Order: sequence, then structure tokens, then C-alpha cells
Amino acid sequence: MPVMNHSNCEPSIHPRLIDATVIANTLICREHFRITFECADMTGARAGQFVHLAPARSASHPSDTIGTNWSPVPLLRRAFSIAGLVAAAPDRCHIDVIYRVVGTATRWMASLRVGDSLSVMGPLGNCFPLSTGKRHAWMVAGGVGLPPMLWLAEALRGADRDGIAFVGARSRDLLALTVDRNVPVSIDGTRASPAAREFARHEVPVVISTDDGTFGFAGRIGGALRAYFAAAGVPADDLVVYTCGPEAMMADAARFCAERGIECHVCMERAMACGTGTCQSCVVAVHEPSAVDGWRYELCCTQGPVFDAGRVIWSGVGGAVQH
Amino acid sequence: MGQNTTTTPIDLSVDLAGVHLINPVMTASGTSGFGPEYAAFLDISSLGAFVTKAVTPEERRGNPQPRTVETAAGMLNAIGLANVGLERFCREKVGYLSGLGIPIVVNVAGRNADDYANVCRRLDEIECLSILELNVSCPNVSDGLDYGTDAGRLEALVAHVRPFVRRAKLMVKLSPNVTDITATARAAVNGGAEILSLINTLQGMAINVETRKPMLANRVGGLSGPAIKPVAVCMTDKVYRAVARDAGVPIVAMGGIQNWRDAVEFMLAGATAVAVGTMLFVDPTVPIQIREGLTDYCHRHGLSAVRNIVGQVDR
Ligand SMILES: Cc1cc2nc3c(=O)[nH]c(=O)nc-3n(C[C@H](O)[C@H](O)[C@H](O)COP(=O)(O)OP(=O)(O)OC[C@H]3O[C@@H](n4cnc5c(N)ncnc54)[C@H](O)[C@@H]3O)c2cc1C
Ligand SMILES: Cc1cc2nc3c(=O)[nH]c(=O)nc-3n(C[C@H](O)[C@H](O)[C@H](O)COP(=O)(O)O)c2cc1C
Ligand code: FES
Repeated sequence: MPVMNHSNCEPSIHPRLIDATVIANTLICREHFRITFECADMTGARAGQFVHLAPARSASHPSDTIGTNWSPVPLLRRAFSIAGLVAAAPDRCHIDVIYRVVGTATRWMASLRVGDSLSVMGPLGNCFPLSTGKRHAWMVAGGVGLPPMLWLAEALRGADRDGIAFVGARSRDLLALTVDRNVPVSIDGTRASPAAREFARHEVPVVISTDDGTFGFAGRIGGALRAYFAAAGVPADDLVVYTCGPEAMMADAARFCAERGIECHVCMERAMACGTGTCQSCVVAVHEPSAVDGWRYELCCTQGPVFDAGRVIWSGVGGAVQH
Repeated sequence: MGQNTTTTPIDLSVDLAGVHLINPVMTASGTSGFGPEYAAFLDISSLGAFVTKAVTPEERRGNPQPRTVETAAGMLNAIGLANVGLERFCREKVGYLSGLGIPIVVNVAGRNADDYANVCRRLDEIECLSILELNVSCPNVSDGLDYGTDAGRLEALVAHVRPFVRRAKLMVKLSPNVTDITATARAAVNGGAEILSLINTLQGMAINVETRKPMLANRVGGLSGPAIKPVAVCMTDKVYRAVARDAGVPIVAMGGIQNWRDAVEFMLAGATAVAVGTMLFVDPTVPIQIREGLTDYCHRHGLSAVRNIVGQVDR
């Protein structure tokens, strides 16, 4: 497969609304599935972008006397980071999404069988900036923040960066990676190894943590990140960090970077309805010197999901209530 | 396509107080931004009319998040009228809207009667803005009560704004959070409304049972989507029979519309035009599908013009 040009952050494709066909949907670890679907070509998409998924409804053919009924659950689309995308001839592509079953939409997704269809809107959002000029690119992922990093790893190799993935999970059985039992994994976080197949195939070694210590570094991934950084001797000004996961984890990674002057990009999650900038659901509070009180809201769906970590206000709900 | 579509062309056009719509399908305020957001999916110029997000005198950041949550066959929202404000709307948004070539409706909101009047006066000067829609589901700062829930204060608000809307048509959007919607409909017409739109969202709440916290940062929000459609059809029927038909005031109806059949239902209940809101989030092409479906419905029922079904539900 040709390595795509990921050297900029400008997706080269307009979003579309298309139906896709499931070609695989498998349990990869407890509560986590990888679904692969085939759809019209989206190879202009970039790592960090997402697809907005919903059940496929029979199109409302004008002579259809029933009319398209969109009401079966889930009603609204759900956003999923693109975890992988490969071209499939001709004018088709295969897209990977990794999801954890937690509610209405993900339960529906887990019920999909090979050959079933689903409705895909995308690709949406911006992407991880790669043209940062930094030699070292570290990915820091927690929980379902892992999926966009799998595709980013491929892009980083295409951009000739030295990538490392730091992956945290609550427990070993919630780690959505294929671990190679023959490869040792550092328990003090100071060494990265090609232990996770999904990253190793892009020549990206991993540092793994589990909160309960059942695998790899015992504790939060931020602890492993600090231990590795202290041991590695990588110059801060030649390093860029990309992070995605629970907000507290991203805030911690952002703090780690800010304290050391390391460039950092965060992939945010917000409750979304439209995914296209119309409904104003998905606000992220950011520092903005020119705005009243020095901050404003930006939209996660169109101005994100990737934000410069230094701009994000991490108070959770963002500033005071207005009007 | 239907088999007999070639016989006679169907007239889908409707008239809203003198404003000509090429078909009766519109967008609902707050669900399609200021126009360009859906351009990748939908040719807006093929709609009957486009309705903007609320415009307030000042720029508003809106409520903290989470601002939306899905509920059974619907959603709650508490956006808090986030918008760029009147001046930036005029500078940054009107240009695009004026190029669409269809009637543009601007949704207007404020915190007191003068806010509404000031926004309307300014927008009335802009030729391409055909209709100004008063969003009266907003609290009045002086006492925190919605304008749209009390007939007396609604009539006073509409009458206050009336003299400032000379060129554009004045539409008033009714709140469903009332005991008797015909009373507020009558008040709006008495105040000078030339078109009525209904319904805005129904007040609702959802609670996270694990954390015992409200699902929305604002605690409560507005319910929209298919869940509210029967309520909206019922209110359209009531307002049509009690007020709009005799006053000659057209109705723009909305609430959970997802297909042409829903649109026909509202038109039979008395709506001259219909607006698609929440379902645009799921499929921005729903309005186009509705337009196609309306044509086919007319063929199947031997109708030469879709406007002939307005208010034609059996009594
Ligand atoms: C840009 C972006 C990328 C994303 N990428 C991914 C990804 O790659 N993989 C992934 O798995 N997810 C991803 N998400 C999240 C995803 O969009 C969904 O929000 C998520 O999968 C949950 O959807 P759901 O319908 O299954 O859950 P929902 O039904 O929406 O519920 C959400 C959560 O709330 C809980 N809940 C709901 N109602 C209540 C209640 N009344 N009381 C208590 N708890 C309640 C549910 O149990 C669940 O934990 C992403 C989101 C964004 C914005
Ligand atoms: C996210 C969202 C934002 C909305 N914003 C506005 C608004 O700014 N002004 C307004 O009058 N109505 C607003 N509405 C109400 C809709 O225009 C419409 O009246 C209501 O949602 C019912 O239609 P629906 O069920 O098709 O969505 C909003 C609705 C939603 C879902
Ligand atoms: S999800 Fe609607 S504006 Fe972002």
C-alpha cells in the first residue's frame, strides 16, 4: 500500500454522506471491538479525523409510501476516530474503527454482522499536524483514545519521524492491542519495545501502563511518560507529543509538555449532534487573548478535534456560565 | 421515481404572506447554522427557504457543555443562543446567504423588547432577508420568564417590534410550553405577526443515574426530534383552526419531521410550509428527500399543487 502524504494538516477531501458495508467486526479485548467497513474512497482523510456513524436507513425513494423512518435507536450519529484507512480498488476504501461498548450506539455497532450496512458521514474535523519539524513524535493514549494513534503511527512513519506510543489502560484485559508475548515490556517505563503488533508494523515501539499493574508499568500513563522522558535524554525542542484519551489524562500530558516547553497536540472528545459545525454542541474552551475575559469557545467538530494543548482550558466545563 | 411523474408537473410552490417559496421545505433555526456548514451535503438553494440560528444584539458564547444529549427518539439541547451577534452577522454571514437565491429567514432573540426591536430594525434594512422570525422562547432578563409563555407579554413584545419591520415579513415562533397555544397564537397575530411558526422545543431534563447529575450542564434543555412530532401536529391543528385559518396567517410547522409523510401530516393539519430541524443532524439531505416525496404524493393523490392539502385533514 502506498504511504500517503501526511506532511500537512489539511485534509484534501470534502466530507460525504455514504453507505458502507461491514467487512469485519470482531471483539479485540473485553468490551472493545474493531469494525472494518468498505465505502466510497476517503483516502484524502488524515489521522485525527473522524467518521460520524449511524444505522443505514433505506433511502426515502419518492415512491416509497412509508417514508424513511430514522427513529430506531440510536437517533443521532456518533463520532469515531479513524483508526486505519486503506485504499481498495477501485474508488473504494476500507476504514477501521475501534470502539468500546458503553451505550446505545456502540451496542448497535456490536450487533452488526459482515454484509450489514451503516451510514457514514465523513471524514470530519481537522487532523494532527505533522509538519512540526520535530524528529521525535510521541503518542500518548488512554482507553478509547488509542484508535486515532494507530493511524497516526502510520502517518508518522510516512513522515520519517521517530515515533513512540505510550498506551494506558485500566487493566490488561482492557488493552485494545495485540501484544507479542515474546517481546519484553518495560515495567519501569524507561524502555520502549515492539511489543504491540499494531504499532510494531509501523516501526513504532510502545510503553504500556495499566492502572492495576496487571501489565507493563503500574500506574497512569503519565507516570510512564515521565519515567521514559527522564531516561531517554530526548531534547524537548526536538519532540512533539500527540495525546488522546480521558480528559484528565490529556490535561496531565499537556501539563507535562507545558512545563518542559514541548509542543503538544490534543485530540478532544465532546458530546456532538451534527458533527459539521451547525448545532454548537461540542464546545471546547480555549485561551484567546483577543476575546472578552481572554477565552472563547471553539467547536470540537470543525475547529478540532485536534487542538494545540496550550490553548485548551482544562477546567472541565470551561469558564463561567454566560448569559 | 413514480410511474406517472411525466404526466403533469406538480406545483410545489407556496406563499408565506407574499414571500414566494419554490417548495414548502425549510430548515429550522439553530439546526443549520448560517448556511455554509451543510454545503458539502445539501444544495440549500433548492430549499423553499433557509432559516438561520438565532441572532442577538451582542455576541454570545452560550452555555457550558455538555449542551446536548440524546433521549428516546429525540434530543435535549441547551445551547444558550450561542451566536456571533448582530454586527458580525451582518458583516460575515449575510454575503453568503444573499447568494443562495432563496428567501432567507433570520431568527431573532433578545433579553428585552428593545433588543428585539434593535435587531429587527437593522435586519429590515438588508434586502435579501425576507422574513424575521421572533424567537420568543427566551427569558426576559427583568423577571426570567419566557416571552412566549404569556399571551399578554407576547402581544406587547410583537406590537413593540412591529413598527421596526417595514420591508421584511414578521414571523413569530410559538413556544409549546404553554397551557393553551391558541391563546399565544392569537396574541402574536393581534400584535402584528404575519406568519406563525411552531413549535419550538419542549422543556425537558435527563439525569445521569450513576452520578445523580443532570446530563446537561444547564440542568434543563429543549426536547426536539421525532419524539415531539405528535405534540407539534396537534398544536398545528389547533392553531390553524382556532386562529390562523380565519386570520389568513400562514403557519410554518416543525417538530420531529424526518420524511415526506411527516411533512404531509403537518400540511394536512394546517401548515403552509414545514421545517426540518434535528433530523438534519442525522441526514442533511432530508429536505431534498421530502421535496421528492411530496411530488410523488401529489401524483398519487391526483393533486396539481401541494398547497391544496393545507388544512385538509378530515374534521
Ligand atoms: C472526535 C471523537 C472521536 C471519538 N472516537 C471514538 C473512538 O474511536 N472509539 C470509541 O469507542 N468512542 C469514540 N468516541 C465516543 C463516541 O462518539 C460515543 O460517544 C461513545 O462511543 C458512546 O456512544 P454510545 O451511544 O454507545 O453511548 P451513549 O448511549 O451515548 O452513552 C454515553 C455514556 O453515558 C452513559 N449514560 C447514558 N445515559 C445515562 C444515564 N441516564 N445515567 C448514567 N449513565 C448514562 C452510557 O452508559 C455511556 O457510558 C469519539 C467521540 C468524539 C467526539
Ligand atoms: C441544537 C438546536 C438549536 C436550536 N436553536 C434554535 C434557535 O436558535 N432559535 C429557535 O427559534 N429555535 C431553535 N431550535 C428549535 C428548532 O428550530 C425547532 O423549533 C425544534 O427543534 C423542533 O424541530 P425538530 O424536532 O425538527 O428539531 C433549536 C433546536 C436544536 C435541536
Ligand atoms: S457537533 Fe454540532 S457544532 Fe459540533
